[in-house]
Amino acid sequence: MSTLSLLPLESRTRRRRWVPATILILLVAFALIGPWVFASPFAQDLSRYLEPPSLTEPLGRDEYGRSVVSRLAHATRLSLVLASLSVATALLLGTTLGTMAAWRGGWLDSVLRGISESFVAMPALLIVLLFAALAADGSLWALYAGLALAQWVEYFRVVRARAALILGSPAVEAAELLHLGRLHVVRRHLLPELRPLLLTLASLGMVTAILAMSTLGFIKVGLQPPRAELGLMITEAFPHYDAAPWLALAPVVVLFALTVSLLGLRRKEDSR
Amino acid sequence: MSDRLEVDHVKVTHHGTVLVETGGLVLEPGTAVTVIGESGSGKSLLAHSLLGTLPPELAVTGAMRLDGDPFDLADPDSRRHLWGRELALLPQEPALALDPTMRVRRQVAGGLWKAPAAVARRRAMTALDEVGLAGAAESYPHTLSGGMAQRVAYAAATIGGARVLIVDEPSKGLDAAALDRLAALLQAHLAGGGLLLTITHDLGLARRLGGQVWVMREAEVVERGPVDQVLDAPSHPYTRRLLAADPSRWDWVPAAPTAGEPLVTATAVSKAYPGRPLFHDLSLQIRAGERWALTGPSGVGKTTLGNALAGLCTVDAGTITRTEALRRPRLQKLYQDPALSFPARVPLRAGLSDLVRRHRVDGARISTLAGSLGLDEALLDRRSSQVSGGELQRVAILRAMLVEPALIFADEATSRLDLLTQEGTLRCLMEEADPGCALLLVTHDQSVARALTDNRLELGEIAEPATSGVRG
Repeated sequence: MSTLSLLPLESRTRRRRWVPATILILLVAFALIGPWVFASPFAQDLSRYLEPPSLTEPLGRDEYGRSVVSRLAHATRLSLVLASLSVATALLLGTTLGTMAAWRGGWLDSVLRGISESFVAMPALLIVLLFAALAADGSLWALYAGLALAQWVEYFRVVRARAALILGSPAVEAAELLHLGRLHVVRRHLLPELRPLLLTLASLGMVTAILAMSTLGFIKVGLQPPRAELGLMITEAFPHYDAAPWLALAPVVVLFALTVSLLGLRRKEDSR
Repeated sequence: MSDRLEVDHVKVTHHGTVLVETGGLVLEPGTAVTVIGESGSGKSLLAHSLLGTLPPELAVTGAMRLDGDPFDLADPDSRRHLWGRELALLPQEPALALDPTMRVRRQVAGGLWKAPAAVARRRAMTALDEVGLAGAAESYPHTLSGGMAQRVAYAAATIGGARVLIVDEPSKGLDAAALDRLAALLQAHLAGGGLLLTITHDLGLARRLGGQVWVMREAEVVERGPVDQVLDAPSHPYTRRLLAADPSRWDWVPAAPTAGEPLVTATAVSKAYPGRPLFHDLSLQIRAGERWALTGPSGVGKTTLGNALAGLCTVDAGTITRTEALRRPRLQKLYQDPALSFPARVPLRAGLSDLVRRHRVDGARISTLAGSLGLDEALLDRRSSQVSGGELQRVAILRAMLVEPALIFADEATSRLDLLTQEGTLRCLMEEADPGCALLLVTHDQSVARALTDNRLELGEIAEPATSGVRG
């Protein structure tokens, strides 16, 4: 036993996580409370066409005289909810299948790997696009399913590789000799080892999903007007950029803040 | 007399805790000084304080003189220019000290970075030849055995012509043959007028090197003197305890009960890895209450044979049958590195309580066993990485005892522990196990095998049964 290695090492530089956490909490609060506080995002008042920001209307009004702050709150809520749902689905699906493939091996592993590889061969955005096209009216379900299916492979591949390592470790061998059963292996070995990895992947996945959604909105194949969506709002604001630059800037800032705070929250995969 | 290293006083502290405090160390040409003591006694810290290679959070005070030139130990950089030329270290775990991406010869030649490349290469070749590794000059470190890696590290450490050689725990994990070669190298260094300071818990090595022995305990040197005097007529009680921990002096090993029913029978088993036959046409039977040892140098397949007997791997030919008495969980294994045998991210207690629930064991037995194993129960609320090796191996014994095993397979379970911890751990194992429980010990340490077991199977070049205990 090396005496030197038992001494506490210089504590590693800790990432300051409270900054991104605060930004994210503010954004979530805005998304949750905003739609209650501000006027309806669809209510038009053409007399207030491109009204500049004021105290009562912090982000002004858009080309139809709709409240921009209200639309922004709705759009943020939509992005967060849809991204969380699709990431949760992809995570659950990928983790379950990945664990099964690593545990059972054999034909099940081969089949699942084959399926996952054919998904990898397709660009993720193409899968989402395909679903968006199939459900013509820009339904939420199509977008959700497309985003989930585009992402599950990542979880599957990572979990399968890591689970195979864990299941082959002396610790699991010892658990088998002790006849502790599968539940023990899942609860005490697999989940605790996979958790940090999955959290990292999930926060990245949220970013991917939010950006994919707004990309589709931006090229007008995702959600359709009059629904408020971040990408769509940017596109809609473009013609008025000279007269009302805040219209385009507001959704861009929200997208940027969402992305940066989610990436900043990502934990370094900690060692033991 | 100036041709020597003198340390008048040295003190190492960490946040006010004294880790090493001693003085009066004199290294002279041709006379070895060997520091023995258990893990955590400060042996390695003493060595590194002389080199100036301690972690920066440790505070050092003291002074040393080399050939009469004074050095302040508090200034880690004061001896930097001596590294490799006057002061050299043969580190612990030499395999980890070598650069895995560099061929052996370049690595050794790196010790002569000031010489022209061609000269350095030629000298490296000579140095490797001297340690009997000329053939491995173009190999990468991962292809070397532990003993070979150590000789490469020796060649790399000494190529600069350093007279003062500091050797840190050199015998860890080495088999007898590798240990012989190492002792010969160190003796040659002494014979050439070198100064040698060895940190070890191997008393046999201390005896072979001769000279002076220091016994360290809890930051202090409790006894010092010529090797024969200290090891044969120790005056300090701690030294006596340390000596009594040598396996040849164990007096607590209970006599083995008469053998009972057969538990596992191997008939004409063979196994080979590609290009490396391990064992061939081997038969043995382990009965209830018997104690078996599988011995031999590293890499001959001791662990593989043990795993095959335990049903953890298959054999190429032959049959292995285990009786109903060994149905899971009645066969338990103790691992060389116990930290790897526990789930890494949950407290130890979580795994134990799963065991208690699953097998309807009385939960109070955890406390009872912890008490008799000398374990503080609070340890169980930590993770495996937060407990020392010796304590963790006792937690592993505790875990095994909860399921009342009929056979315990100990795979080099104490080979990384110091002598006192090894004795304590094995004593716990023998005292806690049911008398009818069979023991299968895999070890490269013949003295442990001799002390604990009556049936021994030596694997080696000739994979033939070596004792009369083999039944076929």
